[in-house]
Amino acid sequence: MNNKNIDYGKIKNNLQNYIEPNIYYCCQCGKCSAGCPAVDLYDFKPHQVISLIQSNRIDEIVNSSAIWLCLECDICSNRCPENISIAAIMNYLRVSTWQKNTKKVKNISIFYKLFVRIVQFFGRSYEPGLILGLNIGTGRFLNDFDIAVDILKKRKIKVLPEFVKGRKKISKATKKYL
Amino acid sequence: MAQETNKIAYYPGCSLNSTAIDFNISITKLLKVLGIGFKEIEDWNCCGTTPAHHTNEELSATLSARNLLLADKMGYDEILCPCVSCYNKLSHAAKMLNTSFSEMNPFEQEKKQQLVSDLKEMGFELKDSYGFKIYSILNYLFEKKELIRQKYLEISQTSGYNKSSLLAKIAPACYYGCALLRSNKLLKFDDIENPNSMEILLKDIGITSKSFQFKTECCGAIMSLTHKDLVLKLSKDILEMAYDCKANCIVVFCQLCQQNLDLRQSQINRYFKTEYKIPVLYLTQILGLALGLSEREVMLDKLFVSPNI
Ligand code: SF4
Ligand code: SF4
Repeated sequence: MNNKNIDYGKIKNNLQNYIEPNIYYCCQCGKCSAGCPAVDLYDFKPHQVISLIQSNRIDEIVNSSAIWLCLECDICSNRCPENISIAAIMNYLRVSTWQKNTKKVKNISIFYKLFVRIVQFFGRSYEPGLILGLNIGTGRFLNDFDIAVDILKKRKIKVLPEFVKGRKKISKATKKYL
Repeated sequence: MAQETNKIAYYPGCSLNSTAIDFNISITKLLKVLGIGFKEIEDWNCCGTTPAHHTNEELSATLSARNLLLADKMGYDEILCPCVSCYNKLSHAAKMLNTSFSEMNPFEQEKKQQLVSDLKEMGFELKDSYGFKIYSILNYLFEKKELIRQKYLEISQTSGYNKSSLLAKIAPACYYGCALLRSNKLLKFDDIENPNSMEILLKDIGITSKSFQFKTECCGAIMSLTHKDLVLKLSKDILEMAYDCKANCIVVFCQLCQQNLDLRQSQINRYFKTEYKIPVLYLTQILGLALGLSEREVMLDKLFVSPNI
């Protein structure tokens, strides 16, 4: 997974053979994009992503923001007349190319890395550390400060982290991933 | 099997253990009232949620599978997992563990191979296949519909029963969100575009819900920390629709939806110069109240928008 040279042939092969064999049935009706709640922010719309895959232009999607803004709500897949799992395709493209995308989606990748590190260290998520780390990492120090105060007032957050007994084993077995 | 034995393993997940403590407590209290035996999975870990799932599917599967094997060690193969995000990740891992190599295609086999090797590295001994069954809170309660109805009839007829004044007043909009029903096409207990299971559960305790058009719209939950503008917009649309439908509260079963609609409601009001003030309650809080729990016991005081209707 640490290989920065993306094997587009393999991605395409996995997509059409295993992830979504129906991909060539797409008739470009656009229903997926019509229902998508995040579509206004996308550079390529969901039906365009499908079309780019069909025409072997996966490298262009890798540099797009679409796959990283997808909310995984699955409206697209449920409404597709050809039963294409668009959300599953989006997710596969994300996981198989994310190493190349980190610049384009800096804040998201900072958040994801930080979150995984915290889980590997404690075994559980630790929200105060996460929010603090995220605000420092992205330079948006006061982001969500208002609701953080609300949460503290209601005592709805654990101030101290919890440690899972098996955390060392978790960390050892998953270190190779991220 | 849960139907006969009324026993299940419980996986709260990180968020129910912290910012959604009210959801957690209202669930466990409700299960007790219903006489359902549950045991929290010992030493459970975080499922990795979106950050793991978006960056590396193997990492996500390994984190989730550890919890399943811990439940297996305790003698459970049925697991109640109220957080919808955890639910999706645990279900995915369960599918991998439940399916034997011979039934998989080469792509899946490769992933399972990796999963098995990670789990062995953590010291687990693996069986060839398992029979895990993961429940979300909604389909679990919906399966227990009869039990809930009976209990309600029984409890509401006892002499000391004091019907919560809140329950007499509410006219809720049932909001399902997108993540449970849409992403799980195999969960056939309810319709994807126009689900009805919450309305049915509420009807059984004498509450009539408003007809609500945005039942399964997405609130943007997975982008809450990274694309706030989008999330505020999507959540605002849901609040607005609830108002338009003349609902006086929103009922949910997902803490991510709940936080976007309740905790962020003040943020939405500042951002859009609106004046929404609509409480967002958990389904389990309402059922708990109907079954005789007090407002304190179901932690109504933890809601950000006060439930005084
Ligand atoms: S809804 Fe399905 S068939 Fe229509 S454009 Fe989208 S992927 Fe293609
Ligand atoms: S799953 Fe992603 S692409 Fe599909 S409708 Fe939802 S946000 Fe859009």
